Amino acid sequence: MTRFMTAVVASFTLVGAAHAEGELNIYNWGNYTNPELIEKFTAETGIEVTITDYDSNTTALAKVEAGGHGFDLVVPSHSYVHIYVDKGLIVKPGIPDMENYGNIAEEWLNVDWDPAREFTVPWQWGTTGVAVNTSVYDGDINTSSIWLDPPEELVGKVNVVPEMQDIINLTLMYVGGEPCSTDKEMLKKARDVLLEAKPKWMSMDYGMTEKLSNSDVMASVNWNGSTFRARNNNPDVAYGYPKEGYPLWMDSVALLSDAQNVDEAKAFMNFIMDPENAALISSFARYANGIDGSEAFMPEDMKTAPEIVVPAELVSAGQFTTACSAEAQEFYTAIWTELQK
Amino acid sequence: MAEMSARTDSPIRSVERPGAEPPRKTFSITSLPGFTAIAITAFVLLYAPILTLVVYSFNDSESVALWGGFSLRWYEAAWSNTQVQEATVRSLVIAVFAALISTTVATAAALGTTRRGQFKGQTFIYVMINQPLMVPEIVTAVALLIFFAASKVATGYTGLVYLILAHSAFCVPFAYLPIRARLEGMNLSLETAAADLYATPWKTFRHVTLPLMMPGIAAGAMLAFVISLDDVIITEFVKSAGQDTLPTYMLGQLRRAVTPEVNAISTALLALTVMLLTAFFLLTRKRE
Repeated sequence: MTRFMTAVVASFTLVGAAHAEGELNIYNWGNYTNPELIEKFTAETGIEVTITDYDSNTTALAKVEAGGHGFDLVVPSHSYVHIYVDKGLIVKPGIPDMENYGNIAEEWLNVDWDPAREFTVPWQWGTTGVAVNTSVYDGDINTSSIWLDPPEELVGKVNVVPEMQDIINLTLMYVGGEPCSTDKEMLKKARDVLLEAKPKWMSMDYGMTEKLSNSDVMASVNWNGSTFRARNNNPDVAYGYPKEGYPLWMDSVALLSDAQNVDEAKAFMNFIMDPENAALISSFARYANGIDGSEAFMPEDMKTAPEIVVPAELVSAGQFTTACSAEAQEFYTAIWTELQK
Repeated sequence: MAEMSARTDSPIRSVERPGAEPPRKTFSITSLPGFTAIAITAFVLLYAPILTLVVYSFNDSESVALWGGFSLRWYEAAWSNTQVQEATVRSLVIAVFAALISTTVATAAALGTTRRGQFKGQTFIYVMINQPLMVPEIVTAVALLIFFAASKVATGYTGLVYLILAHSAFCVPFAYLPIRARLEGMNLSLETAAADLYATPWKTFRHVTLPLMMPGIAAGAMLAFVISLDDVIITEFVKSAGQDTLPTYMLGQLRRAVTPEVNAISTALLALTVMLLTAFFLLTRKRE
């Protein structure tokens, strides 16, 4: 009972004392932060860390924009970084001067949504590709035709995750267009391909880790981390990177402009650019991290995982897709509405 | 809800009771074709998902859909997870305070709207009190986000009080309805008798009205407690740094990898809710 009362009192006072020495408030996706990483950080620096969860970029943005939240660091996806920058919600913490700056891998250093990494430090990145149960289909899986023109064996057994942006981007790249295109010819082609493929699908659903593991679906548009987990349950599951083009995403750590614990936040940003610490991030949430040399500290099963290590010949097919223009967005929505009918 | 059933019950009974005629074949919903089938389907649809959730909370594997043998490992995992511990304590603290505050307010509101004659604008007042039931929760959430954010910036205080206030506000109608139903079922004769015997208004209230309405108050408080414990949307928008409650913690888990730990937490939460609702029904039954 005394312990309970202490906890009660603590929960009232904890946040009131945001200015106390050595505190850090991180606002991150749920189930995304390795507790061991935080323990190590606290052990090395003496800074007490509080993690608060969010479940979507939009929720995080809404709360940060409203102000008065008490957070120091936030972890937006790449397509949201420029929104934070434009609204003045995040500031440059002087990342290039940080001790571990040099560890950022070459390909993650000059990303077009944050040139020279002035605002954000890499957290994790992943890809959207196709997961296929190879016991049913053993042909080439590095193509979007798995779901846009399913082979005989997969007809009626394919799932498509209902993620508008990813699906239309994949289709546009498949028909030879660019993500966020406003080229009506390309958009028309993409729409026709989608409408023609739809009768051959089984479902448009989330939650593929379970369904692939159970062989409830034999193929699906899916994210690499989820496919990695599915393969651990069901060795027949394989991950393909569509050679026609596939979307990349990256979540990065940014310093909020109204942060109370700026020095602590900077210390944490530098801390996670250390290869050993970056590997801790990956070993928990199972995505790659964008820090050179972290592979050496990764768990064995991740070092060679085909879902994490992109085959060299398919690297160039990966594309970062930022938020589309309002015009493109309108076309996307129109196609999506038609597809959902 | 309780109030509605009380209203519809009585006229039917009074119609049946004086029946001097011999019993004829009366209309009964149960004699309609397909009644049993529909009832069974409805119960299966309601409870099968919950049953699956509970069963898989005892799963030994990492998956929430592949059975890997019986185990309590996810209960242990949840029990020893400090984030879950803190979120649980926080949820309970908020729910207790929100239930206390909202029940007090709701009791006053129920007295004010029933212990008197008809008055002008009565319906309007009812609508005002029950506003959280009608306004979509997301609207309240966004409004509170903006309002409290301004207050947090102005005062610098970001503690738990905001969440308690927000929860208290939307719990009021849930506490109000059972209390009002209770009061509407009590006529004024005992209070009038007390007044006749020279009891002061306060004494009448303290020794007559309050004890009589207690079951309603208890039921209202428990409903408010459960509603506060379950809330996601408003909490997600109002919480400050380090203020995850159990439901918002679970929501965060769902977007990434779901393990049976979430099932274990849900099952524990479910058990608590069921216990409270059972108590609620026992209390409301007693009054009849």
